[in-house]
Amino acid sequence: MLIADCGSSWTKILETVSGELEIISTRELVRREDLFFEVATGHSGKKRCKVYKNELIALAEGSLALVEEEDFSIVDVGGRDVKFVRFSGRKIKKLDWNLACGSSTGATIELLGSYYEVDFDGLPIKGKWINVTCGVFGMEKVLEHVSTGTPPEEAVAMFLHGMVRNVFDFSGRPEHLYLSGGFCENKCFLQTMEKYCNVTPLGRTVPLEGLKNDIR
Amino acid sequence: MTDNQEKFIGYFGFPRRSLLREVRDRYGAGLPLVDLDVYSGAPDSGLLPRATCRIIANIVDNAAELGGRLAAVVAAVGEDKCDRGRHAAWILEGMGLDVIESRFTEEEFEERPLVWSTGRGPLPGRVDRIMETIIDPSPPSDPPEKCEPTHGFWGVPPNDFRLLDLFPDTTHIFGWIRCVEAGRPADLELECMVDDGVPTVFFHQSFCAKQDLAHNLAERYGGIAVDCHREINDSILAKVEAFIKLS
Repeated sequence: MLIADCGSSWTKILETVSGELEIISTRELVRREDLFFEVATGHSGKKRCKVYKNELIALAEGSLALVEEEDFSIVDVGGRDVKFVRFSGRKIKKLDWNLACGSSTGATIELLGSYYEVDFDGLPIKGKWINVTCGVFGMEKVLEHVSTGTPPEEAVAMFLHGMVRNVFDFSGRPEHLYLSGGFCENKCFLQTMEKYCNVTPLGRTVPLEGLKNDIR
Repeated sequence: MTDNQEKFIGYFGFPRRSLLREVRDRYGAGLPLVDLDVYSGAPDSGLLPRATCRIIANIVDNAAELGGRLAAVVAAVGEDKCDRGRHAAWILEGMGLDVIESRFTEEEFEERPLVWSTGRGPLPGRVDRIMETIIDPSPPSDPPEKCEPTHGFWGVPPNDFRLLDLFPDTTHIFGWIRCVEAGRPADLELECMVDDGVPTVFFHQSFCAKQDLAHNLAERYGGIAVDCHREINDSILAKVEAFIKLS
């Protein structure tokens, strides 16, 4: 049985019986009309499933399945948006979903990384940052830095630092943060985030965990 | 929007009732009133920048569309509306319209009962009924039953009412809409009053100064601030839906 988190850039598909996880680009998902899921979340999954689940609800329920603490905060940094939930006594204390300003920064960092052929594992941790108002404004500043002599790796790291600051502020500046999404695999992002708070990466499958209860 | 030959009295915001009466007496008590704040499908007049409050753009676009059919416009330009309301009045005057400015001061504040804000029933209908009290404040013949709030909606009537469809019937209304029902549109204290502990969505139109209140109140009371420019999109609906379900 297939369940899926169909994000803006990447689609995570879990075969629930075998436990096999497949990650494909959402670009590829759009082309594959045969793919249909028992339960799905994410914009691109709406018309491809029996049961659709709101992304923020999937994140909240997924984190409760993975984290045993009474009080904790989790943030999911996606390609297009950032979602945040804070629990107190395992009940929702606060949640938010950044859709407008600050959006698309995740997708932008992928584009920048690909354009400048950046290896994020070897990226330097920069003390300086770029104000990443949104993906487009942030990218403009990276281009400006590179054109005035800053090495591309350094400029991209500064963009990443600006993005980390946005995520930290958006999450209410907690002492400890659980992280969900593709940035769990980005060493530079994690190390930069550690400058601000303790961070525990939970990987890319947190929303999938939140879908399991909906399998009928 | 309207019949070609018919004349109207336009208004926006919550003009003083006495002034509204006066203008109707002067221009024709039988002339229908039209709320220029509300989107009616009028084309973009091009008189405002694209990144501006959608409600103000509605006012200007509607007035440009109606043109000479507007016998007069009663314009809320005081603290009860906003600076952009004042600017819109200036633009409408520049279009040759007869604009009468209204500033709703404390002396004219009323103490009307909050029938619709604290009643049970579909939220879009209750917001509509509150906005109708600007013209006709007489007590309703079909008041809703009172209810304990499970959720709160704070703010102004959104440009796209589909947002309101998400809320349960037990949602109480706060913010400027509640001020309108109370007859106190410039009462900042009432505008910022919410029920602590009731999960509340703090809504403001994009590019509106009320975003300062919405964000501050959302932080203070653990709610969420939501803004929208023109039409509500799936992402905004999903965010509000999640908040309502999880709170």
